[in-house]
Amino acid sequence: MHNVDFFDSRIIEGTATSIILDNGKIEEISVNYTRGVGVRALCGGSWGFTSADGDFDLQKAIRSAFELAKGMDSKTPQEKVELFPTSTPVLKGIPDIKIDPKNIPIEEKVQLLKDIGAHAKIDGVSSTTAVYSESSMKVQYSNSEDVECEYELMRTGFAISAVASLNGVYQAGRESRFGVCGYELFDKHDAFALAKSAGKTAVELLGAKQAKGGNMPVILDPELAGVFAHEAVGHASEADLVLEGSSVLENKIGEQIASPLVSVIDDPTLHEYGYYPFDAEGVQSTKTTIIKNGMMESYLHSRETAARLGGIPGHSRAQGYSMPIVRMSNTYIDNGNSKFEEMLEDIGDGIYLIGSRGGQVNTGEGVFQFNAEKGYLIENGELTTLLRDVSLSGNTLEILKNVNMVGNDLTMHSGRCGKNGQTAPVTDGSPHISITKALVGGA
Amino acid sequence: MYEMAQKALSLAMKNGADEAEVYYTNSRSTSANIRKDLVEGAKEQFSEGIGIRAIIGGAVGFASTNMPNRLEDAVKIAVDSARVRESDPDWTGLPSNAKYPNISGIFDKKIVEMELDECIELALQMIEGARSTTDILATSGSFSRSYGKHLILNSNGVEVEEEGTSTSGFIDVITTKGETSTAYDFAVSRNHDIDFYQIGVNAAELAQESQNGISIEPHKTDVILHPFAFSDIIESAFAPSIDADNMQKGRSSLIGRLGDEIAASELTIIDDGLIPGGIETGISDDEGVPSQRTPVIENGVFKSYLYDSYTAGKDGVKSTGNAARQSYVSTPSVGLRNFIIEYPQSDIISGTDGGVFVNTVIGAHTANAISGDFSVEARNAYTIKNGQIDKPIKSLMISGNIFEMLANITGAGMDVRKVGGTVTPSIRVSDMSVIG
Repeated sequence: MHNVDFFDSRIIEGTATSIILDNGKIEEISVNYTRGVGVRALCGGSWGFTSADGDFDLQKAIRSAFELAKGMDSKTPQEKVELFPTSTPVLKGIPDIKIDPKNIPIEEKVQLLKDIGAHAKIDGVSSTTAVYSESSMKVQYSNSEDVECEYELMRTGFAISAVASLNGVYQAGRESRFGVCGYELFDKHDAFALAKSAGKTAVELLGAKQAKGGNMPVILDPELAGVFAHEAVGHASEADLVLEGSSVLENKIGEQIASPLVSVIDDPTLHEYGYYPFDAEGVQSTKTTIIKNGMMESYLHSRETAARLGGIPGHSRAQGYSMPIVRMSNTYIDNGNSKFEEMLEDIGDGIYLIGSRGGQVNTGEGVFQFNAEKGYLIENGELTTLLRDVSLSGNTLEILKNVNMVGNDLTMHSGRCGKNGQTAPVTDGSPHISITKALVGGA
Repeated sequence: MYEMAQKALSLAMKNGADEAEVYYTNSRSTSANIRKDLVEGAKEQFSEGIGIRAIIGGAVGFASTNMPNRLEDAVKIAVDSARVRESDPDWTGLPSNAKYPNISGIFDKKIVEMELDECIELALQMIEGARSTTDILATSGSFSRSYGKHLILNSNGVEVEEEGTSTSGFIDVITTKGETSTAYDFAVSRNHDIDFYQIGVNAAELAQESQNGISIEPHKTDVILHPFAFSDIIESAFAPSIDADNMQKGRSSLIGRLGDEIAASELTIIDDGLIPGGIETGISDDEGVPSQRTPVIENGVFKSYLYDSYTAGKDGVKSTGNAARQSYVSTPSVGLRNFIIEYPQSDIISGTDGGVFVNTVIGAHTANAISGDFSVEARNAYTIKNGQIDKPIKSLMISGNIFEMLANITGAGMDVRKVGGTVTPSIRVSDMSVIG
């Protein structure tokens, strides 16, 4: 084991269970036992990475990563990579599991899911799906700098979706809650009320009007504003994208890039779905303020990007035993002082956009497009006509500057984020925000 | 674990399953990654695992593992899960052993034998291609090659073993001088026949030509969608409607529409698991049903949904060989094989007086999978004037409905491309809404 500058390994072992309910019937019960290792080796400026499944030979995996790193270094030598110094993390505040889902019989989980599905099937709903998932995972990290640490984490959650149809028009409503917790998730969230709400959304949207597109003032609900914080701001602040030249936030540190009302934070220590005690490089997790009162304060870093750009590491994550990359955790726009009613009054005429059906962003050019689940026309400060198929698109930096009110009702939403083919559990959050001008797309 | 597959099958039967299936995969892939004009990392992945389906009274239980010492637990929990579920009268059975077609072009020994140096060399070729245009930076990209083998065994005598290879290249570039503009290009093949240099050239030229975009007024016009843009929209907005599972659950706009004219009369769409060298080509689907060629739309008329064996049993028809699995950790569900779009080809740009040409779109996955409504951001879009590409457009949204779009197809280019499993030329659609 010579001639490499650094290596580390992560051994992941876990069990995941999921139950899928379709129109009141169990569609699938699935259990997966998995174990694997991801090994990184650094030689000069080149990374080699090897992953192996199941009953792997750790020494063989390490040798393979070594060979890849050395092969790269001799064929395409590059500027030496420095890693931000780190020490063994102190594990504190790992979420307690109050009710271990493993102690709940599968029959009980199936019944709960059936009840959730039944609550979504209100009048007018033609079909429903509901999903339950639980996973426990043990992570063991070690590296060539004598850092060794491990933790175990439990994640539990559910999702419900309802579809309503009328005369060939189909509309969907969805709700989901996932957390770093056990079965007590169902004590914290009223799954039946959420299911009912998903059904209600689907039915209401059948009668909704299509929006007329154009530039106009908008109010975003906490979920959609959270998606904006994550997709448009969060991704652009990932330091690997900055170094790639794929971020509109490159060279913006210390600059006023947003309305002074806007602060954006990523905090992996919060006991939300994106929680982790240390990251995929064994670095203790800490809260990072990305934008403070409109000023660009920090990118999100791995050890490599932190050493290169200056910053604090702790945002390396990986799906299972994949290659770690810079990721978000729990990302949110911090609370302001405004009330929703004040926003409505202030805006006069515009559109209120609610929820998200996903979105995409080009971080290099700083443009994004998100589809809202629904919206309302705002006329004379009042919510009037319900709208469907509404989308929001625009330029990230322009939108950040156009924020003129930030609410005091921060709400977090759990979800999964994809990057480079890997998904990671995350939460996004925000209070209501009001924007003076944005491009709304309609039918 | 390969040797353990047969044992897992008999164990499931011994534990009380009526029927059982074992799906084993083993793969090895190598990739070389590009960042900022450099090949900066190499990856090797060894993956192996087993998924077990156990069926009792039509109820399916599933478990999977990559740990040989947990295989017995996995088999047991698959059978137990099947017991917990209510029996499903729609279940007709796992596929039986059948005669399998001959297929070709999915295994290339040269890909298996490739050394690391060559992988790096091919990634470098993409960067060099991008550098053939000035003031371009390759922000990210990757070369990859993979080899995979799978085995499907079931208690009805199916025993399918197949191996295949693939190689792919992807590059994302950005302009470094003047207005910022980005573009990407990629290619996937089962054989070692990709021109990696050309991938770099294409992306770089596209980014450069997209600089200094103009704004356009919202209007309705002819839109030509490059194979990248068209395949993205059709996979997100149309494919869910022909999935028999969605149809049976009331989640498709095409319920009861078999035999109806749902598209332009010269449009034909075929799902085909047999084409030589296709990305989705194989002797069988992922539960061992022989691959076939299924016309989905023929001369504008809707001909068939796509079925796996469960949905086919429910409708009393034969499976179309469309069972697909993400990996050994998931059960099969209906998925596209090679999806081939056919329309009389011509030099469509020169045949278009005025309109818009769109290379790629972002946000297609946000389409309403049931109604087929979509609203996407068009990237690397250009105006067309008097039969020629005229000016780049700065920012553009296109929206519409996939069924209206299929009915409004008026032309196809000569430029057929394999975009993953979707094989399509550029497609011209009249009367689409564009918002600049």
